[in-house]
Amino acid sequence: MPEITFAKPSVPKAGALAVLVPEDGMDAALAGLDAATEGAVSRGAAAASFKGRKGQSCVILAPAGTGLSRVVLVGLGKAADVTRHGVEEAGGTAAAALANDAAAALDARGACVPPIGTHGAVDAALGATLRSYRFDKYRTKEKAEDKPKLAKLVVMTDDAAAAKAAWPAAKAVADGVFLARDLVSEPPNVLTPAEMADRCVALKSLGLQVEVFGPKEMKKLGFGALLGVAMGSANEPRMVVMQWNGGSSGGGRTAKARKGAKTATKPLAFIGKGVTFDTGGISIKPAGGMEDMKWDMAGAGTVIGLMAALAGRKAKVDAIGLVGLVENMPSGTAQRPGDVVTTASGQTVEVLNTDAEGRLVLADVMWYCKQRFDPAFMIDLATLTGAIIVALGHEHAGLFANDDALAQTLIASGKATGETVWRMPLGDAYDKLLKSDIADMKNIGGRPGGSITAAQFIQRFVDGCPWAHLDIAGTAWHGKDKPTIPKGATAFGVRLLDTLVAEHHEPAKG
Amino acid sequence: MITVRFRRRMPEKGARAVLAGAEAGPGFGIAGFMGKAGEALAQHDGAGRRFILAGLGDTATARSVREAAGLATSHALAEDRLAIDARALPAALAAEAAVGAALRAWRFSRAPEPKGDDEAPMRLARVDIVVADKRQAGAVWDMLRPGVEGALFARELVTEPGNVLTPHRFAARLRELEAHGLAVEVMGRRALREAGFGAMLGVAQGSAEPPAVVVLRWKGKFEAPPVAFVGKGITFDTGGISIKPAAGMWDMRADMAGAAACAGAMLALALRRSPCPAVAVLGLAENAIGAEAQRPSDVVRAVDGTTIEVIDTDAEGRLVLADCLAWTAKRFKPRAMIDLATLTGSIVTALGHHRAGLFATDAALAAQAAAAGEAVDEPLWPMPLDEGYEEAIRSDIADLRNCSPERMQPDACHAAAFLKHFAGDVKWAHLDIAGVEAREEDEALGPRGATGFGARLLDRLVSLRFETPDD
Repeated sequence: MPEITFAKPSVPKAGALAVLVPEDGMDAALAGLDAATEGAVSRGAAAASFKGRKGQSCVILAPAGTGLSRVVLVGLGKAADVTRHGVEEAGGTAAAALANDAAAALDARGACVPPIGTHGAVDAALGATLRSYRFDKYRTKEKAEDKPKLAKLVVMTDDAAAAKAAWPAAKAVADGVFLARDLVSEPPNVLTPAEMADRCVALKSLGLQVEVFGPKEMKKLGFGALLGVAMGSANEPRMVVMQWNGGSSGGGRTAKARKGAKTATKPLAFIGKGVTFDTGGISIKPAGGMEDMKWDMAGAGTVIGLMAALAGRKAKVDAIGLVGLVENMPSGTAQRPGDVVTTASGQTVEVLNTDAEGRLVLADVMWYCKQRFDPAFMIDLATLTGAIIVALGHEHAGLFANDDALAQTLIASGKATGETVWRMPLGDAYDKLLKSDIADMKNIGGRPGGSITAAQFIQRFVDGCPWAHLDIAGTAWHGKDKPTIPKGATAFGVRLLDTLVAEHHEPAKG
Repeated sequence: MITVRFRRRMPEKGARAVLAGAEAGPGFGIAGFMGKAGEALAQHDGAGRRFILAGLGDTATARSVREAAGLATSHALAEDRLAIDARALPAALAAEAAVGAALRAWRFSRAPEPKGDDEAPMRLARVDIVVADKRQAGAVWDMLRPGVEGALFARELVTEPGNVLTPHRFAARLRELEAHGLAVEVMGRRALREAGFGAMLGVAQGSAEPPAVVVLRWKGKFEAPPVAFVGKGITFDTGGISIKPAAGMWDMRADMAGAAACAGAMLALALRRSPCPAVAVLGLAENAIGAEAQRPSDVVRAVDGTTIEVIDTDAEGRLVLADCLAWTAKRFKPRAMIDLATLTGSIVTALGHHRAGLFATDAALAAQAAAAGEAVDEPLWPMPLDEGYEEAIRSDIADLRNCSPERMQPDACHAAAFLKHFAGDVKWAHLDIAGVEAREEDEALGPRGATGFGARLLDRLVSLRFETPDD
């Protein structure tokens, strides 16, 4: 992560410089540089057909009259249409172009237009930071010249002091995103359920309360569905409960402890599917592409990253994060298609396909969360179905909800952060497809509407709580670079949910 | 369609049914009947007459009345006649009982008579709806009946096998609609070639059956651009050179369900003398394999000049629609254009068999189509049509390609993004009805088989939104 500082605008003496350029304010944005270079920068931009359109960028190498190694121009589009996420993307695009310079500056004035204001500088810095993520701990032979060099980025804005004051909160969110990306990128032989739980425990340093449940404790809680999934693996399962009590009322306490405390509000609950590797179990997956199943814990990774972000920026909210961590393996002790398991809720499930395991894990964890915390809402994230990729591709995550208001805030927060969600239907006609001949339900409803029946399954374990389910199977991992997301683990959901908390569940800032 | 009559008194003969809500339900004291929606109970009374109780749920709604009447009807198919007691319902709801009964009692006109003893022959020919106000209920039914006729017409067409309903025989069946006051124009292969329907002709070239585009026009009562329906009518879809697996291929006789629904809707508008000018453009072709069949990687030129690389010959519906949409937009400049197509397997994976996918460039049109669908038990669900899906249909050598070559793709979204290119700036909605064109089992509103999905929806959409000239 490059070190970010903020400063008043100037033309730096050396290093690289990126400038965020509005389409309808190009002359003003380049005035200083043009004065120093006798118009070379504007001429370079014109020669490259750079017009400042959104998504456009161009590089001018070593412009005469300055000591700069390169000038990078990044378009913002029309000033009136600039959004905060658009600024982040411009910052990300700038960072990618600056990666080979050890020190660089980013002139963010073009982004500080009303109503964004000084936030523009912070958003640009956040975008640049998010884009500079790299997972290279297992590259032991990479030459120094092949590694990105950007170590220091000075972000320039008229009100540098205000941007500096706002940066730590944004950086905490970036830290949460990086943590989630690290977890998703880690190979499954390293990131077992126990190891993942240990990484949650490490977050105590941020002020989170962390409890870890092993197989014995979960057996006592009656987690028959989760334990059934874990049966085939030599790696023991875990459930981790993380609590952040940043609200004023101590609402993070359990439902029981809240009783009688007049001011206590209900906490927000986030639940993640954490299958550290999913072979499919006895209903084994085809070999081609199975390596992708290391990221079948991305829902849990996102929840952990989110909790780190909330704690890191000392969010004024009570939030809890629960993750169910298992490995789904075929073996002599593995669960069989046809097994019937009893969930923590007492409902029985006929497991017809051992590869529909995520919903089994969520069933127990969500039921437990509702009973213990009685939260204001539950939002679960899971790389749950291939069907959601066939439905929505990699553009949007699938959103299922029993609460329209909650769905609306998720859609709005998604748009604000570029982590967009698309609402999908629920209904009795779909729920009926889960009917089992010998148990309360079966764990698959067939290929048609496969993501919907998966959501219907989960809904049977929310016990009336306002609830939303994000099927992130198509958005947790990206095959191509995006402006703020290098190819690979996206940490989809961390920014979305952090924004949802900040905009809808924290007291407005002074 | 069976004969439906409204009357004031219960007849002395034949089967009888009572539609009862949850409150009244226990009052009957019969075998635990609770009056729940979806509940129906049939037995013989002391006089040996069949007596049926069907539940309406907590409150009677248009939907629960239709379904209860449909269920009641399903228990009386072997009777000569059935009387449904709807006297407890207001006239508007009682008329919906006729809709449910008529939809459920439909049967393919050329279906064989059942032979064995275990299956009773279908004899039901007449349903009486017993109501308090015969005239009022009858007036409501007069507005609903055309939609039902249209849906049943669509079911007939969808049920016909591919060797019987070839493109030209389909066109001949549509010619018969002239009797109802529709203008029918048929463009054959030569006319299509002259008009430049290169994408559609590419699909048809592997088949010995020549393609046709049928244009149905309803004049309406005011001067305005028409509402346009565009239907995919692949009379049989083998997939072409990108051939489909043998298992389940028989279902592909229904790959013309979009065109059938549009035709059914036009029939409905004509039957109820809708004031709204309307046009339907139906692209009829067979997607077969042969020495002249189109190849994956062929490039074709659509009617508007757009070049298309054909990646998969089984993504043929969008090629037919490309020409039909562009041609309709240009020739008729419609107020709104709605296409119906059994387009993708992807939409079945996304939404299953209970909702069709709705893609639209106009939010108001989308909302109205969705409302019409809810009103007639043909529910839709909005799906995304944003720029992110455009990249997948960019071609290296042509303006567009007809699908992405990769596996596990949101093909329904890609197909919609593809079609959007041909809709131009007309207000447009696309209904991907794959998955809802047929039922796997008998249900309240129809027997197993073709549903006619879309015909009643389009009829309702027109009556809700387009029967005044102002926009």
